[in-house]
Amino acid sequence: MKKWIAPACVAIAFAIASHIMVLYSAPNFIMDRAMQMLEKRGVKVHQFKLGKRLTPQTQSVVRASPDLTYSSCLFDLNQAPDGIMVRMAQTSGYASLAFFDTATNNFKTIRGNGAPVEIKLTRNANIGSGSQTLVSPTAKGIIIIRRLAPTADLYSQVAKVAVNDSCAPV
Amino acid sequence: MRRVLTFLFATLIGLGTGIYSALSMSGLLPSDTASGAGMDIDGWKGDLSLGTADTSPYLRARVARHGLLALAKSEAVYFVRDRDGRGRRLDENCDYRLSGGTFSAGWWSITLYDEQNFLPANTDGALSFDASRADEERWTTLISAQKPAETKNWVSSRNADQFDLTLRLYMPSKDVLDRPNEIDMPKIERLECRENPQ
Repeated sequence: MKKWIAPACVAIAFAIASHIMVLYSAPNFIMDRAMQMLEKRGVKVHQFKLGKRLTPQTQSVVRASPDLTYSSCLFDLNQAPDGIMVRMAQTSGYASLAFFDTATNNFKTIRGNGAPVEIKLTRNANIGSGSQTLVSPTAKGIIIIRRLAPTADLYSQVAKVAVNDSCAPV
Repeated sequence: MRRVLTFLFATLIGLGTGIYSALSMSGLLPSDTASGAGMDIDGWKGDLSLGTADTSPYLRARVARHGLLALAKSEAVYFVRDRDGRGRRLDENCDYRLSGGTFSAGWWSITLYDEQNFLPANTDGALSFDASRADEERWTTLISAQKPAETKNWVSSRNADQFDLTLRLYMPSKDVLDRPNEIDMPKIERLECRENPQ
């Protein structure tokens, strides 16, 4: 019986360690894949790209909403030590500006209420201050602007506005 | 040598148990579905934790898999249903009547997705039913693989095989977030079937 104690302890130790490792690394792994996928689709660092209007023929991710347009920007604050200035251009309908870190957390969402939104994103809490500055928990991440546009006409209107979105280094 | 093999076996058992239990407990197994957790309101399954940061590593991993880049619940909440009012799987071979009322939200829509979680591969231009088409307090729409002659309220299930419906409430009111169980969820009733559903 005694000879099984040590192997059992080894099994338990490896079970706990691997359980924790999978649990804590899964969100980062999933987000890393998502960022790579966006890059393959032409989304660049520090530049918003408006996705095509969602139809069965253009969809590329599961359960995407055909009601919304998606503009995505990858950020990397290692390349922008003074932060980036994020601007969501003015739209009349529903719009939101959402920030995601590399652990998939949505660390800030700002709803556009018919006015443009401008906010500085930094890694360092000492750079800038006040409500117009946001500190990112991680150096890299994704910013997404969603706008309500359930018809082709509304998508065309959004496309004209979205060219004024920006997420450029300060 | 036998002792080494025993330790090697113990290591593999430990690794396997740890990895499988982590995947299983956080909803990361391939068979886990988005609607596998959260609340069930009249057959509509929802999870108000999607799109939020949470201190629980299990919830965080599950959200990463099933709600990656989802809107925060202050912006939108989601409910999924894959069965009719009598518990039968929704199927392209049958027609359904979907009916409901208004929602306490800025905008809402109900979208049909196929079994692979994609919009069905058709060109009917009838992917969803939304607030702009519900011009009365109580509304009804037909879900069918064939375009009906008698109504403009139609959601196409053509090429969907077995499917589900996702109800999205954008800009939900405080009432919706505080008391989701009181949402007046749409009813779904099976009408005729052309062939035996799967």
